[in-house]
Amino acid sequence: MAKILEGPAMKLFNKWGIPVPNYVVIMDPDRLAQLGEANKWLRESKLVVKAHEAIGGRYKLGLVKLGLNLEGAVEAAKEMIGREIGTSVVHQVIVAEMLDHDEEYYLSIAGNRDGSELLFSNKGGVDIEDNWDTVKRIFIPLDMTPSIEQITEAALEAGFIGEVAERVAKIASRLILCFDNEDAQSIEINPLVIRKSDMRFAALDAVMNVDWDARFRHPDWDFKPVSEIGRSYTEAEQQIMDIDARIKGSVKLVEVPGGNIALLTAGGGASVFYSDAVVARGGSIANYAEYSGDPPDWAVEALTETICRLPNIKHIIVGGAIANFTDVKATFSGIINGFRESKSKGYLENVKIWVRRGGPNENQGLAAMKLLQEEGFDIHVYDRSMPMTDIVDLALNA
Amino acid sequence: MSILANRDTRAVIIGGVAGVNAARRMAQFDFLVNRPLTVRAFVYPPEEGQQKEIYRGGELNNVTVYSSLGKALEENPEINTVLIYIGASRAYQSAKEALDAKGIKLVTMITEGVPEKDAKRLRKHALETGKIFNGPSSIGIMSAGECRLGVIGGEYKNLKLCNLYRPGSFGVITKSGGLSNEAMWLCAQNGDGITSAVAIGGDSYPGTDFVTYLNMFENDPDTKAVVIVGEVGGTLEEEAAEWLSQEIRRIKVIASIGGTCQDVLPQGMKFGHAGAKEGKKGLGSARSKINALRAAGAVVPDTFGGLSKAIKQVYQELLKSGAIKPEAELDEKLLPALPPSVQEVMKQGDVIVEPLIRTTISDDRGEEPRYVGYSASELCEKGYGIEDVIGLLWNKKLPSKEESEIIKRIIMISADHGPAVSGAFGAIIAACAGIDLPQAVSAGMTMIGPRFGGAVTNAGKYFKYGVKEYPNDIPGFLNWMKQNVGPVPGIGHRVKSLKNPDKRVKYLVEYVKGQTTLHTPCLDYALQVEKITTSKKDNLILNVDGTIGCILVDLDFPEYSLNGFFVLARTIGMIGHWIDQNNQNSRLIRLYDYLINYAVKEERVVPDKR
Repeated sequence: MAKILEGPAMKLFNKWGIPVPNYVVIMDPDRLAQLGEANKWLRESKLVVKAHEAIGGRYKLGLVKLGLNLEGAVEAAKEMIGREIGTSVVHQVIVAEMLDHDEEYYLSIAGNRDGSELLFSNKGGVDIEDNWDTVKRIFIPLDMTPSIEQITEAALEAGFIGEVAERVAKIASRLILCFDNEDAQSIEINPLVIRKSDMRFAALDAVMNVDWDARFRHPDWDFKPVSEIGRSYTEAEQQIMDIDARIKGSVKLVEVPGGNIALLTAGGGASVFYSDAVVARGGSIANYAEYSGDPPDWAVEALTETICRLPNIKHIIVGGAIANFTDVKATFSGIINGFRESKSKGYLENVKIWVRRGGPNENQGLAAMKLLQEEGFDIHVYDRSMPMTDIVDLALNA
Repeated sequence: MSILANRDTRAVIIGGVAGVNAARRMAQFDFLVNRPLTVRAFVYPPEEGQQKEIYRGGELNNVTVYSSLGKALEENPEINTVLIYIGASRAYQSAKEALDAKGIKLVTMITEGVPEKDAKRLRKHALETGKIFNGPSSIGIMSAGECRLGVIGGEYKNLKLCNLYRPGSFGVITKSGGLSNEAMWLCAQNGDGITSAVAIGGDSYPGTDFVTYLNMFENDPDTKAVVIVGEVGGTLEEEAAEWLSQEIRRIKVIASIGGTCQDVLPQGMKFGHAGAKEGKKGLGSARSKINALRAAGAVVPDTFGGLSKAIKQVYQELLKSGAIKPEAELDEKLLPALPPSVQEVMKQGDVIVEPLIRTTISDDRGEEPRYVGYSASELCEKGYGIEDVIGLLWNKKLPSKEESEIIKRIIMISADHGPAVSGAFGAIIAACAGIDLPQAVSAGMTMIGPRFGGAVTNAGKYFKYGVKEYPNDIPGFLNWMKQNVGPVPGIGHRVKSLKNPDKRVKYLVEYVKGQTTLHTPCLDYALQVEKITTSKKDNLILNVDGTIGCILVDLDFPEYSLNGFFVLARTIGMIGHWIDQNNQNSRLIRLYDYLINYAVKEERVVPDKR
């Protein structure tokens, strides 16, 4: 799952013939003024300026400004670029033509196990949630394309009339093409607007998710997916992501500010159960982390050091199931080095470490971990006979 | 009994090195349960025709790599299962081909990062062909006592710890690979072990689902209960709950669902698995799955740690009701131990292996090379030079300063003798033909022999013989040489003579005798010999080979090592010639016709073949 920003989404819409308003993405307000000299629409249309970043609730944060002329747009861009919102910084704004329009529609498509589902409503816009019962759905079986006639019929059923229904159906069929050919997972256009005087349509706002695993067959994807956690990634998260991209196996990290129980857990499945166990027992996690697929020890070491630096942590849960092929001895040597390094830098004071693990070379790995007791670590080491998440219970009862 | 994989399963693995590693793990299991090798073939076009060595216990099998699935199946028609270990960009094509192949019933894919659309298409294609497509991202399938597909179950020791050598009564279905192993362990520890365990993979759209396998387990009389490990995202667990509540089921269902922590985590956060993602309005949340499963009658503990107790409780109930008959514990000692490698046994001191070679000069097993015990860096630190390394590696002795100086001079004097001589000329011809350095230099090296440069050893050898057998009797020595050897090696020169002496010889003799304290019986003897031979013929002088040979004998190098000095010295020159020709970008050399005497027959008609 990879959410992409409006700019790249608009570019893909253009590619597949879905009408979009005129727009530019800029990093420098002066550039906007220059573009204004070259582009009539920037001088003559009402403009909307939006922060082009993965920041939720942009409107309330003043990061969306409507109904501006070029001068106003330059001002708005100046105001927005460089603003810091939590851990995010606004680097770019998208400036688009505000199309005077008569009606707002809703059009979306999302994948499911057997194909995809096309949704539309003639009551789009901000109130779509309230008008959810007006949404008409068409199931599109995998690798099938409904005919224009079929879509038009559905559009008519959804309350679109006459030529508008035909035009909406045509846009929908292009949306399906775009969805299929760009390995999209979901595309939501809200609103799709119409100016009836010249029957001009435009997708004013779009949320698009593409399948990042499919990027190998899309050489023209010149964008990167945006953070999916409703905020920008922290420096530590970005660092771990960079390592993840380079190695065999994987390391992952998401920080959860305010928690005091750090997770240094192995395996995509087990790590979730460890998070669950902390929450179920009334604890609060300081992060979610996971390493798997027999990653190199240096990558696990880097993850360990990052986790040791999390503020205010009281416990570190070094948990994991009985590994199939991840070498416990090797990955633990990375963790042990990370612990030592962190301790020498003054971290891990009053932090209790809880270990449970099994898998290839488990005896050597666990024995090495246990030896840390002699170096003054407050570490508690358990083997496979300890039920997997019960070290969380022990930690919280300690 | 089991599902999906059993003693009749025969597999082909599509993929490279990861697939071979999996095959080795699978063969360990084959050995444990004493079944024939499961993996019969590999498909990996870049390594077509190779054979991979797979040990089943101590038995070595060679499994062939084919360029296509079709060829592999043609030669191994017993194959009924395909394991996909190939990269994500080629996984779809491979799996589709496998699903289309006659005789293939099951395709299971470990590949991670497969595009969703590809997985959806494969699922659909499997449904249409009536076959099973398991995965992507599946660690594999295990049927206790029968068959292992993939690396599921981990290392050999774990296979025993989890009782995987014999079937139990629990089925296991998980999304996660690591947790499939954990669940098998829990079933062994708290129950009697598993019948089969399947990892369906944690992607958004796995090819199969819990319900597919629940149905299979329901129809497998040996399976009495099934442990499901699911997680947030999708609706497969809800479908399992629905399946359970549809009608009275024979099997008990125990479940654990991950992802209840979602509420406190950043929204839309990505867990370890691609499919672990809550939908809109709580659809697919862990909580809703747990509720659905509990409502349907499944045992769902609070945390994963609670699974132990839940399994134990169900096992006790099944024992009480008589559904499971307690099985006598197998003595683990009866299970075969994996044959250890020679290295492992040697570590224990339980075996003697006769070494293939013996070395007395150097050892690179430590942090740095050691020459006859001395570490290379320490020799450098203490001011030793290349002559000392020669002394150590050729003669196991550290030369004195004086001796080193002599060795150095011998090498310097012999390093090159211009392009005209056989060795340099050979190297140059090769260089001009575009041959690389090592081969061109060895072309020059092949020239070293009886007529070129190879006289050092023999000169040293016979002068040493003379010193020993004919001291003070040069004529006796010369006579012996004449009768037994022929011309004295080291005596005589094509162009140099008494009147036109070889400067190198003069210098070396003067240096060794004038500026060092080296005792030189052999050199002295040779100079005596020269006096006599030159009195017979002007050019029968002690030549440079003879001089060097004698000095080296006096330096106490073994006589058979002496040509080494010429080889070493000339290597420097030949490398120089090769570099020189390359720098000049020299053209291919071809002899001009006028440099050849064509002593051949006149042109004539080829007769008809008789």
